[in-house]
Amino acid sequence: MITVTDITSAYGRKQILRGVSFTAQRGECVGIVGANGCGKSTLLSVLAGTLKPSAGQVLYYGRTAWSDAGSGRMRGDREVIRRMTGYVPQENPLIPELSVYDNLRLWYPDKKALCQELEQGFLHRLGIEAFCKKQAGKLSGGMKKRVSIGIAMAGMPPVLLMDEPSAALDLICKEDIRKYLQIYLERKGTVVITTHEESELSLCDKLYVMREGKLEQVDRNLRGEALTEKMQIVTS
Amino acid sequence: MKWRIQYLRVEVKKALVLFPRMLFQAILLMMIIGVIAFCGVRGLERDPLAASIDIAVVVQEDNRMTQMALAYVENMESVSSYCHFQQTTEEEGFDLLRKGKIAVLVLLPEQLVEGIMNGRNPSVDIYFPRNARLEAMLFRELTESGEGLLRAAQAQIYGANDTASAYGLQEQLSKMEAEIDSYNLAFALDRMALFDTEQVSVFGSMNVVQFYAASGAVLFLLLTGMALYPVMQREPTAIRKQLERQGTGSGWQCFSQWFCAVLCMGLLLAVLWMGVKLAYRWLPDGFLAQIREDRADSGFLLPQIMLAGLIVLSAVTIVYFIYSLTGSRTSGILLLFLVSVVMVYLSGGLAPSMFMPERMQAVGRWLPTTYLMEAVGNLLTGRNKTGTSQCAAILVLSTVVCGMMAYVLRRREE
Repeated sequence: MITVTDITSAYGRKQILRGVSFTAQRGECVGIVGANGCGKSTLLSVLAGTLKPSAGQVLYYGRTAWSDAGSGRMRGDREVIRRMTGYVPQENPLIPELSVYDNLRLWYPDKKALCQELEQGFLHRLGIEAFCKKQAGKLSGGMKKRVSIGIAMAGMPPVLLMDEPSAALDLICKEDIRKYLQIYLERKGTVVITTHEESELSLCDKLYVMREGKLEQVDRNLRGEALTEKMQIVTS
Repeated sequence: MKWRIQYLRVEVKKALVLFPRMLFQAILLMMIIGVIAFCGVRGLERDPLAASIDIAVVVQEDNRMTQMALAYVENMESVSSYCHFQQTTEEEGFDLLRKGKIAVLVLLPEQLVEGIMNGRNPSVDIYFPRNARLEAMLFRELTESGEGLLRAAQAQIYGANDTASAYGLQEQLSKMEAEIDSYNLAFALDRMALFDTEQVSVFGSMNVVQFYAASGAVLFLLLTGMALYPVMQREPTAIRKQLERQGTGSGWQCFSQWFCAVLCMGLLLAVLWMGVKLAYRWLPDGFLAQIREDRADSGFLLPQIMLAGLIVLSAVTIVYFIYSLTGSRTSGILLLFLVSVVMVYLSGGLAPSMFMPERMQAVGRWLPTTYLMEAVGNLLTGRNKTGTSQCAAILVLSTVVCGMMAYVLRRREE
């Protein structure tokens, strides 16, 4: 489970996150929506450990990932973050000159474990072994995203953080992504996803709207114009 | 550490995957630079230095002694073979100097010879054009050394005079002066000196082929950096973020990229060297003989290998630093090309620095390319051991400084 308490973050003088708090249980999917530039990606960067927050606390399954421990100085435990989370950034973390297999080797140092994953594990479910020998730079957008998810799943972390995974993908790829998320949730994984896609929102057990660096929980069934209206009301 | 080693392995694999393309680009570049250097050297060989120095002399009075002295100097064998004198008025002389039709203008004062005889020593004014060519520079060197000789002779005479006065030996003075004169004249008019061959070269201890081989090699090393761009470029943000999550920080990323670039450059040079060895028989004999000319074989291979390694490290680090200044492939490659050519030019790699203005020479002394060229030259000639160790120390320093600056720049961008 994830416990996020009063996270704040700033770029220089600009305050991006202002006391963000939420929780997510095991097997739960948390969706975060909001206008562009409202701080969704910043929140995910903090949760993924690539950005240091100014204050607050993040716990993964009771283990401290970020905390100021009352001293006012933030400390992060990279090992906890690395073991507990898988991160799918907006851009794909692929080296285009290398094959998919070589790209995966960077994140799966154990060759045997990688082969096993490709033959019968989550990578197999993602269908990566079919284009394993292809050059990463020559893959389609959907294939690249599948490999990105496969990279995030190295070590089977219990928490998956996804930053707009369906952006710039066609309908079939979006449906595929939704299917893989479903599989992960069935395995009792926890997902935090930022998205603009309604199809992905249907997977969410909790839905939050972010505005001006603050999170507000809304009805998980809110869709279409009602959600847009809510976002506009919130962002206005 | 496991993750770091894994990253390094993947980067090495990426470098090896890209190697054939880099090799092709390097071969193309070597052929272009080789052809340019070969044509340049051939051009220099065909066009020996113009031997005649045109000198205008202004004699400011109709003085028979001065005319006789001038005629004597003009007809001296050593002077007449290199200098062509013409007498002009002062106005005509300056006009010719401005138009670049003469290399030197000499203004002889009134009572020149009489003044020398009576010790008044009137000064002779010599004018050179603002942008002096080689002939003018040569004449200036000759004038300065002649002036040095005269100054020494004068000091000897005055010294003898003072000594004679101090010890009451005035009656011996004329004999002493005659002795001094005979020594100086024997030294100045040594006919055997005319038949000695003393080679003075703007290329230092190298011949022209060795010099251009060294500067061409440095230019090639730097420009080959264009082919190495894919292994030296910054990782995309998404990969950087994932690597940081793993604990592979920007320091290790920089080191891995730099290491792969050094590896690629080393491999490229090894393959090209083998290629040159295979093509040995088709290379022009004269060219190879000139590269090997006067080569001092030290017998120790290890120092030469170490020096070659240091040259590669230094060149790669300079290229890595230049790429750290820019954010895209196009701007990086353009900047590398521009900076490489300018640095090699200022270091005297295209035209010897002797021919450049003093300010440019001073700038050149601060550039690592100057020491890279010197190191390659020492590697080719196998000479100048002291110079090599100084040069190596400077290259180590420049490698460390460039490497650190590249790291700081890349880290700051994050």
